[in-house]
Amino acid sequence: MTSTDEELVARSIRGDAESFNQLILRWERPIYALAYRTIGREEDARDVCQETFLRAFRALPGFRGQAKFSSWLYRIALNLCRDWMRRERRAPVVQPPENVDLMELAAQAEPSESIEDLIGRRALMRIVEQVMATLPEEQRTAIILKEYHGLTFQEIADLVGCPLSTVKTRLYQGLVVVRRELAKRGDMGEGMS
Amino acid sequence: MTEMVCAYPGNRDETLVAYLYDDMAPADRAAFGAHVAACGVCRAELAGFASVRSRLAEWAPPEPTRAFAQPNVRRSTVAARVWATLRDVPAWMQVAAAVLFLGVAAGAANLNIRYNADGLSIRTGWSAPANEARVVAAPASAPPIAAASTPEPSVSKADLIALERQLRHEVEAGAAASPTVSLVRALIADSERKQQNELALRIASVYQDVGTQRTADLVKIDRILSALQNNTRSELARQRDDMHSVSTVVARLVKNP
Repeated sequence: MTSTDEELVARSIRGDAESFNQLILRWERPIYALAYRTIGREEDARDVCQETFLRAFRALPGFRGQAKFSSWLYRIALNLCRDWMRRERRAPVVQPPENVDLMELAAQAEPSESIEDLIGRRALMRIVEQVMATLPEEQRTAIILKEYHGLTFQEIADLVGCPLSTVKTRLYQGLVVVRRELAKRGDMGEGMS
Repeated sequence: MTEMVCAYPGNRDETLVAYLYDDMAPADRAAFGAHVAACGVCRAELAGFASVRSRLAEWAPPEPTRAFAQPNVRRSTVAARVWATLRDVPAWMQVAAAVLFLGVAAGAANLNIRYNADGLSIRTGWSAPANEARVVAAPASAPPIAAASTPEPSVSKADLIALERQLRHEVEAGAAASPTVSLVRALIADSERKQQNELALRIASVYQDVGTQRTADLVKIDRILSALQNNTRSELARQRDDMHSVSTVVARLVKNP
């Protein structure tokens, strides 16, 4: 039987490391995805993800269950993302691999997809990423939490500390901007214009 | 042309986004649903947002590192790729590579280590006997000055073997006991794999661009060649006409000087 977050948290506070490991396994991916979509860089998102769990582990004895464990984690991660965004970004470093068949490697990334499909999909992803990057932080966060993490408006409001109506307005305005920017970049799918 | 206007009495934007994500009370949803059925503006905007959401769904982050597990390095795949590459290399090149490798290996393998009464000496394949490196002690016949003034501690073969064993054991024990080392290794391996994938995709993208450009260039060259060919043909025809005119004039002149 699967334990709830609250049960795992309680056991972790009592010193059961395995329970905290289970919490990590359960929430590692959502937290990483949140960090990646917020700051847009894989390496840094991974750092933020690891730092989130480190901080959570250190602060666990003080966690009283006043909020859901996931909300608490999201809050830590969002704060770390904000810290990251305040700092100066570094240029990405890509080093050419040796003795690697690049085309084969690319084909291995998604065996069911052709290279053309993969490139097309990545191009679309890049457009979405660029458009999302143009949004103000509050609107982007609202879209990310709602669209990709399925939080309710009330949960988002509690998480970011603003009224419910503000969250809805931010989300609406963000979607309007995304729609406009996608159309501007030529991604004029059905119903976009 | 009449511009459509939404006459929803409440906070239309907030309600619309709540309706879009189905995050509202059922009664409110039913009420707004009735409005949407009659309002073209809201229907159009909902359709537009639904399309935006389908685009947003394409934005998937790359696979995260399993920071608490060893990375799954597909060595067999790498090996297969290396052998596949080798199969495409011509036989003479493989022989040349093998000879070169053997030459280098022979040079490196010609490592002469001696441990006797004269002390420990190391000589590589490229070193002349005169250049022997005295590591611990010089021959007894010519004791070094330093050895005479401050006697070096003697190191036996057994000591060296024991030291080697100890070091090996410590390194292995340290690597096995330290989760940090494993984690760092996992992170490095995963990072390298991700970078390779990213680079491969970028290069594949460049290949595609180059291919498209090449096709366009070939079409362009073909057009230019066709135009040149046409120009040459018309020039030849013109010259032929000129020659004909000249020969006609010459013939007339010959006939009627």
